[in-house]
Amino acid sequence: MNCYLCGRDMPVHVSWRSIFFNELESVICNRCRSSFELIAGGCPICSAPGEGLCQNCCKWETTEYAGLIDSGKCLYRYNPPMKEFLHQYKFLKDAVLSEVFAEMLKEVLDGQKSIVVPIPMNENKLKERTFSQVDRLLDTASVPYLHLLGKNEVGLGGKSKSARMALEDVFWWNGKPAPEKVLLFDDLYTTGSTMRLAAKVLKENGVKEIKVLALIRA
Amino acid sequence: MKQIEEFLTGRVWLRNFTPFTKEQIDKAISDGSVSISPGIIDGRQCARCLEKSTKKIVPFFCAACNAICYYCRHCIKMGRISSCTELITWALPSTISPQSHSFHWNGSLTPLQQRASQEVQASLSQKNDHLVYAVCGAGKTELLFPPIFDALKKGQRVCLAAPRTDVVLELTPRLRNVFPTTTIHSLYGNSPEESGFASLVIATTHQLYRFKDAFDVMIVDEADAFPYSYDPALKRAVIKAKKKRAPIVYVSATPSAELLKQVSHTSHIFQRFHGYPLPVPEFRSLWRYDKDFAKGKIPPKLAAWVDEKIQKNEPFLVFFPTIELIEQAIVLFQKKHPGIQAVHSKDEERKEKVMKLRERKIPGVLTSTILERGITIPNVQVAVVGADQPIFDAAALIQIAGRAGRSIDYPDGNVIFFHNGIVRQMDKAKKLIVSYNRGGAL
Repeated sequence: MNCYLCGRDMPVHVSWRSIFFNELESVICNRCRSSFELIAGGCPICSAPGEGLCQNCCKWETTEYAGLIDSGKCLYRYNPPMKEFLHQYKFLKDAVLSEVFAEMLKEVLDGQKSIVVPIPMNENKLKERTFSQVDRLLDTASVPYLHLLGKNEVGLGGKSKSARMALEDVFWWNGKPAPEKVLLFDDLYTTGSTMRLAAKVLKENGVKEIKVLALIRA
Repeated sequence: MKQIEEFLTGRVWLRNFTPFTKEQIDKAISDGSVSISPGIIDGRQCARCLEKSTKKIVPFFCAACNAICYYCRHCIKMGRISSCTELITWALPSTISPQSHSFHWNGSLTPLQQRASQEVQASLSQKNDHLVYAVCGAGKTELLFPPIFDALKKGQRVCLAAPRTDVVLELTPRLRNVFPTTTIHSLYGNSPEESGFASLVIATTHQLYRFKDAFDVMIVDEADAFPYSYDPALKRAVIKAKKKRAPIVYVSATPSAELLKQVSHTSHIFQRFHGYPLPVPEFRSLWRYDKDFAKGKIPPKLAAWVDEKIQKNEPFLVFFPTIELIEQAIVLFQKKHPGIQAVHSKDEERKEKVMKLRERKIPGVLTSTILERGITIPNVQVAVVGADQPIFDAAALIQIAGRAGRSIDYPDGNVIFFHNGIVRQMDKAKKLIVSYNRGGAL
């Protein structure tokens, strides 16, 4: 088959492992795979480089959003190949690209004790994009999840951080019973506003512990 | 409404991504001047690029339809087409008034160019397909000027398609100078928006996906080049973009056997415009060069060749079979001379680097096959590393050799094929070049 990203022909690789363990076949070539940078260590909430809680997360701790998130992780850096990937997946709407990180997400989320809650999309936006890029990443990785939130029609993109923090009613509770532990999942972590706004609604409705996971740290 | 007609005549466009407002488009649809058609047609085929392989037309759960829809991955960069997207086109007979065209060109054609030019024009008048088989540096573009002007004067819409953006960018200013009063659109990936109705369209073959039954004359430049020769979708696009009976002119220095067989009207030019022979490649062994590079060493014979070019201050191009090898090699070459640059197909600074080489600001460039055609650098010296690799077929090798000796001031040039064993394609390339120099006696 051909690499989903660069289109180059890839030799078909069948091993005993792939047959017996039902491994997902890689849809991208090694060259494209190695162009993505995994993050090691960093901030215990958002994986920003450095020791301990990063400056940005420290700032959040001085606001009313303090203490909402117990821990977290972002998997990849937002380097140029990752930007190109996200552009093609999200904006060119190349839905099958959710397969690219399926193996990785499966590995990270397997055996997870918290309930995985995806950051939702606004209904109109969903109709326009034709798929939820966040749900699809989880679906493709066969990770079970539960929607607890709904989203109003506001875009965060392009707003300054203070303007973002003023956006109180972005998410609403959908009324389902609250689990004790939740892992919030999103595709891209930029300022951390989305995660905090969502976490606030979850904690207000009885969730005790919240972890966050994002595929990419911008 | 006139603007919508000018824009949509002969085009197939995504309903939701036009330069017009939703109300304007809706109104044009309701009064019947614009027609709608589905993005994915029967048999799960993309209506824009005509792709139908199951690898490229893929299913997904569509939240807009609440059902499984199919979308086309092949032409997705032009805006995704799925089962639920609509394509629009101008549905009425054209009311666009004919433009006046003028021809400003002070150059002259050699007798060989002149003859080929007349033959092309005769084929076009009789609506016959035509092949211009002319060596690198024969002056193919110039000989097309008179037939293009003739077609434009008859009120015909002409398309000049080339496989690569670099070639479109090179052709556009030349044609705009030659046809100063003609509306010319230049279309390639992310090209700036053009307005009005173009009688002459210069486009990458990819951009032809967006046309249907549009052109009275279709010219395909570099008709053997990747990706055109490789991608059947592009060949379909050429057929779809032209009107049913419109003739195609193929232009190539290295036509495939298939093309030679398919087109019966052919003009040959086996001599460069300056009259000097083509540089004949020399074969030089470079055993297990990949091992040397892997060990962090430039193979000595190649190092010596490059040193000589740097010392003589002659610009050089070194072609490599893979990007991986270029990445290994560039580090080593830059130790030799920090000015040496590497380019490949995804390099955004490709144009600037080639320009620097032309202006002698840098000594040389390591490249993939991306620079095999369309570029002219006076006095350039050429080497191929791994000329035995399958990516360098005879056509590619002839094109690469054709970079040398193009200018009248430096009609000669050094062309070396470094190899790990001579293969048939190398022999074929050399034999053809020698035969062209003998006047095409095959």
